[in-house]
Amino acid sequence: MAETVSNGIEQSTTAEPGFSLKNRLIGIARVSPTMAAGVLIVVAFGFMALFAEFLMPHDPVSAYHDRVLQPPSAEHWFGTDGNGMDVFSRVIYGAKFGFGIAIPAVLLAIVIGVPVGLIAGYRGGFLDEVLMRFFDGLRVFPSIILALAVVAATGQSLLNVVLVLGFLDSPVFARLVRSEVLALRSSVFVESAKAAGNPTWRILFIHLLPNAVQGAMAQTAVRAAWAVRISATLAFLGVGIQAPTPEWGAMIRQGAEFMVTGQWWVALFPGIALILLVFGLNLFGDGLQDLTDPRRRAAK
Amino acid sequence: MTSPVLTVENLAKRFPTGRSGVFVNAVNGVDLTIAPGETLGMVGESGSGKSTIGRAVLRLTEPTEGKIIFDGRDITKIPEGQMRPLRRDMQMVFQDPWSALNPRMRIGDLIAEPMKLHLGLSKSERENKTVDLANRVHLRPEFLRRHSSDLSGGQLQRVCIARAIATNPKLIVLDEPTSSLDLSVRAEILDLLNEIREQTHAAMLFISHDLGTVKLISDRIVVLYLGSVVESARTDELFSNPAHPYSQSLLSAHLPADPAAKLERHVLKGEIPSPINLPSGCTFRTRCPVAKDFCEHEVPKPHHIGSAEHQANCLRIPDGGNRIAQTETA
Repeated sequence: MAETVSNGIEQSTTAEPGFSLKNRLIGIARVSPTMAAGVLIVVAFGFMALFAEFLMPHDPVSAYHDRVLQPPSAEHWFGTDGNGMDVFSRVIYGAKFGFGIAIPAVLLAIVIGVPVGLIAGYRGGFLDEVLMRFFDGLRVFPSIILALAVVAATGQSLLNVVLVLGFLDSPVFARLVRSEVLALRSSVFVESAKAAGNPTWRILFIHLLPNAVQGAMAQTAVRAAWAVRISATLAFLGVGIQAPTPEWGAMIRQGAEFMVTGQWWVALFPGIALILLVFGLNLFGDGLQDLTDPRRRAAK
Repeated sequence: MTSPVLTVENLAKRFPTGRSGVFVNAVNGVDLTIAPGETLGMVGESGSGKSTIGRAVLRLTEPTEGKIIFDGRDITKIPEGQMRPLRRDMQMVFQDPWSALNPRMRIGDLIAEPMKLHLGLSKSERENKTVDLANRVHLRPEFLRRHSSDLSGGQLQRVCIARAIATNPKLIVLDEPTSSLDLSVRAEILDLLNEIREQTHAAMLFISHDLGTVKLISDRIVVLYLGSVVESARTDELFSNPAHPYSQSLLSAHLPADPAAKLERHVLKGEIPSPINLPSGCTFRTRCPVAKDFCEHEVPKPHHIGSAEHQANCLRIPDGGNRIAQTETA
């Protein structure tokens, strides 16, 4: 499976001279145009997040008291909000929160989930039952309700939002890795590794891990999309991040009040940004899964 | 006489079937000894328990009964933590080289792995020894940077052999190392194994279903049937004077090198019985052309045939009725 996947990309990239980012993108675009579109969107938002300071025409949190709720204009492209802050600058700055929450949350989910999946799958038996039933328990609760409760209980901070999202999402990675390990643990190369004298930690992390993470890695972009969506939802509900922090969810909540009075721009633009980033991450993630799952590839 | 590298006493392995009280009797009371530097061939049909014995010897599967004594030490029950340093002296080569190597590791790292685990060499020493090992198994050094998907079956089996000899083990278990390879490659691998036998003086347990292969490499051969040893003898002795009816029929199925040689073929009737319900008495009696009524009631004990090293477990040896050819001409 691994070879065919990499070959799919390699053949199209090696046709181009060199391995520049541009050529890589062209390679991906040939295999999966929707994935290339997703990558482009995510890269654009990543660029926004990294260079927000240079892209913002105004300070995202300084209020112009004389320009409250102005419609879009040449000076304020996306208008101003109820505090007189520049919506365009705030939308750009919001990308920092999107990535700043999603990336560490997904990393944390991997750091927790992957080792648990490895150990549960390899050891099997009682330990497997206990770990997996506990993780099943986590999955039973609607994640937003659970995240709401935990963040509300542990205190309102960005760090708590990241920790809760990472913890709640770790079962996804544990399950994927576990199912791979279950299939691999009785394979000959694992027995061969044991016969050669490998200690258990080497069997888990040197021999099983590289062969078991592909499916889990293909999920990262989709899980990042989930984290962006849930963190924005939490902020919208006023948990974790509060206005006037330039976070999209918080901005949409603030803007929602003005929808009825006709000031649509306050909520619309952060909403579009949120939808675009989630959409881009999902396209990217779908492409990754198509590339790594032979059944999904065959269906195309 | 030097003490044996490996002694197996009354080894038995039963696998649970999922139904309580019902077991697959893969191995039923097997005794083996292997002297230092000796190559013992183990022949049997699929289902005869030969691979299970090979894996139990290395504690890759836990024996249900019996004793495994490696290099003077009883290793039957010692925990894996104590087993690990011993694995330096006991290595294994598997049947299918395509699946026996981690597909994500480079060939060089795979060959160096046992040294990394057991020998405590510096990185550069290890790299030098890896190149040496590649040369010894006739593998071109440029393959060391590749992955297993770039190599052919024969090349991969050379890698597995290099891994197995990297720590200079006292015993190498080879579980059908040639049966998944093309015929031409098979001969090369057997030549290589014979070369290594002479260079390293490692003892080998060579498992195969093919008598012809085992003949080319073994000093001694044990013949397995349904998880029991039915005959053991020096290689030439087994081929010139097979005592057990099962060995005789196996040999008659094996083509001699001389096409003019007269063939007496004894094709066994029926299938190997299920190891869940072993036949009573002699387990071979259901397919044995010379079986008598008493074979159903008595479990055969080993009989010495001529030399002390030649033993066969057949109830008809005392009355001389163990020869298939004799009964047919009579």
